[in-house]
Amino acid sequence: MPNGADTHCPYCALQCAMTLTPATSVAGAAPAPTAEPATPAAPLEVSGRDFPTNRGGLCRKGWTSASLLRHNGRVTEPMLKGSDGVHQPISWDQALMLITAAVKDTQQQYGNDAVGVFGGGGLTNEKAYLLGKFARLALRTSRIDYNGRFCMSSAAAAGNRAFGVDRGLPFPVTDLDSASVILMLGSNVAETMPPFVQHLQGARDAGGLIVVDPRRSATAAFTSDGGGLHLQPTPGTDLALLLGISHVVVHEGLVDAGYVAERTSGYAAVVRSLNAFWPERVQSITGVPANLIRETARRLAQGARAGGSYILSGRGVEQHVDGTDTATAAINLSLLLGLPGSARSGYGTLTGQGNGQGGREHGQKADQLPGYRKITDPAARAHVANVWGVDESLIPGPGLPAVELLRSLGQPDGVRCLFVHGANVVVSAPDTNAVTQGLRSLDFLVVCDFFMSETAAEADLVLPVTQWAEEEGTLTNLEGRVIRRRRALTPPPGVRSELWLMARLAEMFEAPSTFSDDPETVFEELRLASAGGLADYSGIDYAMLDRGEAAYWPYPVGSTGTPRLFADGFAHADGRAVMVPVTPSKRAVRSFADDSLALATGRLLEHYQSGAQTRRVSELLAAQPQARLLIHPGTAAARGISDGDYATVSNERGEVVCRAELSTAIRPDTVFLPFHFPGQENANRLTESATDPISGMPEFKTSMVWVRRAVSTQEHASYTIPAGTRLPVHVKEAS
Amino acid sequence: MSERIVVVGFGPVAARLVDELLPAVRTGLVQLLVVGQESEAAYNRVMVAELAVGRTTAEALAMADASDLEADGVQVRLGVKVKRIDRARQHVVLSDGTTEHYDRLVFATGSRPVIPNLTGLNPDPSRPVLPDGVTALRDLKDAAVLRAAVAGGKRVVVLGGGVLGLETALAASEEGAKATVVHNGPFPLGRSIDRGSGSVLTNSLRASGVRMAGNARSTGVETAGPGGSFSALLLDDGSAIDGDLLVLSCGVRPRIELAEGCGLPVASGILVDHHLRTYHEPHMFAIGDCAEVHCADPSCKECRTASGPSGLVGPGWRQAKWLAEYLVVLARDGQTAADSLEPVPTEKPGVVVLKARGINLAMAGDNQADPWDEEALEAGATAGRARRQISQWADPEHGRYVKMTTRGGVLEGLVAVGMPRTAAELVLLFERSSELPADRSLLLRLDGPDQLDTNASSNDPQRTVCRCAGVSAASIEGSVMEGCSTVGEVSKATRAGTGCGGCHEDIKGIIEKHFQGAAA
Repeated sequence: MPNGADTHCPYCALQCAMTLTPATSVAGAAPAPTAEPATPAAPLEVSGRDFPTNRGGLCRKGWTSASLLRHNGRVTEPMLKGSDGVHQPISWDQALMLITAAVKDTQQQYGNDAVGVFGGGGLTNEKAYLLGKFARLALRTSRIDYNGRFCMSSAAAAGNRAFGVDRGLPFPVTDLDSASVILMLGSNVAETMPPFVQHLQGARDAGGLIVVDPRRSATAAFTSDGGGLHLQPTPGTDLALLLGISHVVVHEGLVDAGYVAERTSGYAAVVRSLNAFWPERVQSITGVPANLIRETARRLAQGARAGGSYILSGRGVEQHVDGTDTATAAINLSLLLGLPGSARSGYGTLTGQGNGQGGREHGQKADQLPGYRKITDPAARAHVANVWGVDESLIPGPGLPAVELLRSLGQPDGVRCLFVHGANVVVSAPDTNAVTQGLRSLDFLVVCDFFMSETAAEADLVLPVTQWAEEEGTLTNLEGRVIRRRRALTPPPGVRSELWLMARLAEMFEAPSTFSDDPETVFEELRLASAGGLADYSGIDYAMLDRGEAAYWPYPVGSTGTPRLFADGFAHADGRAVMVPVTPSKRAVRSFADDSLALATGRLLEHYQSGAQTRRVSELLAAQPQARLLIHPGTAAARGISDGDYATVSNERGEVVCRAELSTAIRPDTVFLPFHFPGQENANRLTESATDPISGMPEFKTSMVWVRRAVSTQEHASYTIPAGTRLPVHVKEAS
Repeated sequence: MSERIVVVGFGPVAARLVDELLPAVRTGLVQLLVVGQESEAAYNRVMVAELAVGRTTAEALAMADASDLEADGVQVRLGVKVKRIDRARQHVVLSDGTTEHYDRLVFATGSRPVIPNLTGLNPDPSRPVLPDGVTALRDLKDAAVLRAAVAGGKRVVVLGGGVLGLETALAASEEGAKATVVHNGPFPLGRSIDRGSGSVLTNSLRASGVRMAGNARSTGVETAGPGGSFSALLLDDGSAIDGDLLVLSCGVRPRIELAEGCGLPVASGILVDHHLRTYHEPHMFAIGDCAEVHCADPSCKECRTASGPSGLVGPGWRQAKWLAEYLVVLARDGQTAADSLEPVPTEKPGVVVLKARGINLAMAGDNQADPWDEEALEAGATAGRARRQISQWADPEHGRYVKMTTRGGVLEGLVAVGMPRTAAELVLLFERSSELPADRSLLLRLDGPDQLDTNASSNDPQRTVCRCAGVSAASIEGSVMEGCSTVGEVSKATRAGTGCGGCHEDIKGIIEKHFQGAAA
């Protein structure tokens, strides 16, 4: 093949279009002899390709993505951990035998649910679909969930509750171009998906970009110089802020009364619940001045009448123990203003992971079957059982959501043998010290990855799998548009696709139904399984995607797909959107004891998720080699911390040591850490595994921490990752 | 057998209690009867002034819906008063002649406006008969009266320089009325703020069109208007302030007659312990404006310094939430389990943020001490306790003033006028008892432009021009030197401008600068 291919970026859910062509300079170029094995030059050249989401643009992550394909740290053979703790290569046959033996042993002794599967939002639709089927039919376990629980679960739960369906953006992203007002709730697209920023330009020109973030992020900085407003609430108070904005909408008569009457239910109860949140009271809770709260409400209403208003939510407001209610408050606000399903306005949530949308639709979730079906719904079970050609009773019931699943590792009645696919939980899960302990208490841990990630390093068995440029498949981007991933390069000899692995294992487990290792065959089966579900893919096939047709789900056979949802109604029986009154819970209100600070975690432009991939790209690592604690100069001064000093950030769960960066961009009561880094810089050592009661989302954005100047700087001064070197412990994750 | 709870009063605090008890009502754990004197279910009284100036609607103020509640199994009696309580028989006698049994009774009777002793007004607080053109602005009917005056651009005289008086006058003025505030002392909010903030506030109010009549002692009302309605407020210096409507804003007094009438101990409010129970009658409770938390234990440290009801709704809501939990545990698990609950937390002194559009004011705690007032600063600084410290910023010309009174770096008092971000942060710091930054001026600058990170000067060659691809000005200049003369060529050579495209203008500027330099 290696003649290149039109495909999409391996990283985030914007899925920027790119073209991969064989690199011209590589062939025959002998690397200069050095003491350390040098990483060979990328075998492919990346160029941006015109597509509505990215319009040819790519960020630094995308530009450099091909350098990982032949990276010398790549795992290219199955690796078994020896009694000395060192991984040694074994053959695939040996690996498959070991797995079947381990699974059988565990299940005989502890039952089927003692085997678990942890998936990822970076897996293709085909892999995510087959993983759900593999868990239920081949492993016969209910214990499957995935890292999307840490990303999209709150927005998904809120969307389902309000609209009856969860598609991140229920409209094409280009609809944003003409909007005069865009409210961004806890989303820093300027770093997380830079080419998306093009779609904010219209609102910025109209002075209507409104960003809610405790930090003056790169996105928030766009609001200066007349671009709009920046609201800087203290962490954990987003819900109150949204109630305050909605309060103003109601009391200043800005409600779209006709829309509310015709298209929603629950209005009166929501209005009553908003009464207690007048702007001055909300100012006292959030730290956002009352006049800014009023201004925000008025601008949104103005935009809704002329030009268009959009409300977009991100992880900043969703990754909380009250994340579902916060997303609900954002939806209520959008419904009061009449945005969802209207021609020039809308509400959406910005999906993060590459296939964060498709990955949450086809059965990788504990409570779900393909087509966004509920596993507890008898009709859904019957449908899927029929497609799979098995008796319905063979499909297990609901399992455990991610955080509970991880908490159960090695526990009595918990999971004792775990498969991890496209996730690096040692870095990305909350309370990673506890997660690492859990992994170490397993009888057997299998990790599929292309690098020896921090999680792979814990594994008994590491299985090398294909990277994005080496495989075929589909992903569903943040708009609910299904797109093709295409192969541009032959994978290294020892590397297999996860479809192949599941097909072989299913054979060895004598699983019922069929398990193909051909992506298109799997997709054809996914079509049938999803037919009639909320996320119906039945009218989509590879050929039409290859013709460049824009396919937005739901796309039942015989239709032309659904670029814009809700134009005619919402997905509840009566066609109305449901407004649910929400108020801040006691649990969500953090007390700032002594001199504790709120810790928000987040992302840098140069790194993706746990950094498993991007920390191996020398250009990206050189730009952001280590975690830095963003801290206000006043807060730093009180702790004797100067710019560049090492600081310890600690709480009852763990401790992080990293350099401090002083900036007035952060609130004085808040510090910020990127979560891309491992070891003692791992921000998730500090996050809490408390979860949202509805979505199972952990609390990532408001942990209470103490910050001190590190006692001995020598102790830590040597801690940097030398760029470009091969490190024994590093990360992968396609999550 | 489920317990029957009777709630006397149906204001915002009672509404919260009822909301919190709803799940227990639905499951049948408790029965609930709410008796409200007004014909409407609870509404947000805090915003009555907003309604009165036409900034919101009565519909939007609703905090409860009687038919929804009844559908959930709550009994709601509106437009009915509790005439008396028979503690021996455990029943209440209603104004319609019926009696209702209770197992638990909650007073949520709230407060009533203070009617000042002025000639021409009936000072009997329990039976006020006010002349036409005089209102106390407490309920929806009062709001309608003020609404008419504002809509007609009438002259509104507000008697009282408290928070509600100022809010009413300012809002009325902003919406078209000619408003005058008549108050004691040289500046409004007398006991809560200091002279500096008082002066700045007075000037701001004047600038917003409100006439301020300070140091005024009123003695009576003149009722020479049409049909014997209000025409002027008379002052003790013989002068008069003419107007069409007099709004009395002289504070509120807890409504305690019912409790007093059935023999419960009262002070300024109905006395309750830290479990909100009335003295000697542990199955009766009081919450909100009518309740005075002051336990019978003379050694209780918290109660030694406690003052009466705050008149703020926040503490009432917290009490309602707490009491609901208590009552549910009581009904489900019995007395011992309920009494083992943590008592209701002691309230900090209330924070007040003026509900106003044109003026930003926040205040809390004690703001009387001045920076050089040794006596005031030393007060309370015994037994190793730090002395008070004052930081102050005054900019009367621009309507800005901040005073922070701290002890050991923690706020004991704050007042901020005209500085919204600073006010918001100070309030958070006050409520958390967090230590302020040693450089207090950091807090003042939150409203200023220097909070924006100054981007590296636009001449710095190392500055990042393209964030998406991480390209510096120097790299772009380098590519231009090597022959790139369009944004497209620079993008191709350096990847600058290949992400969001936001830096295309900057790149163009660098190219143009280079060629201008070459031409010169």
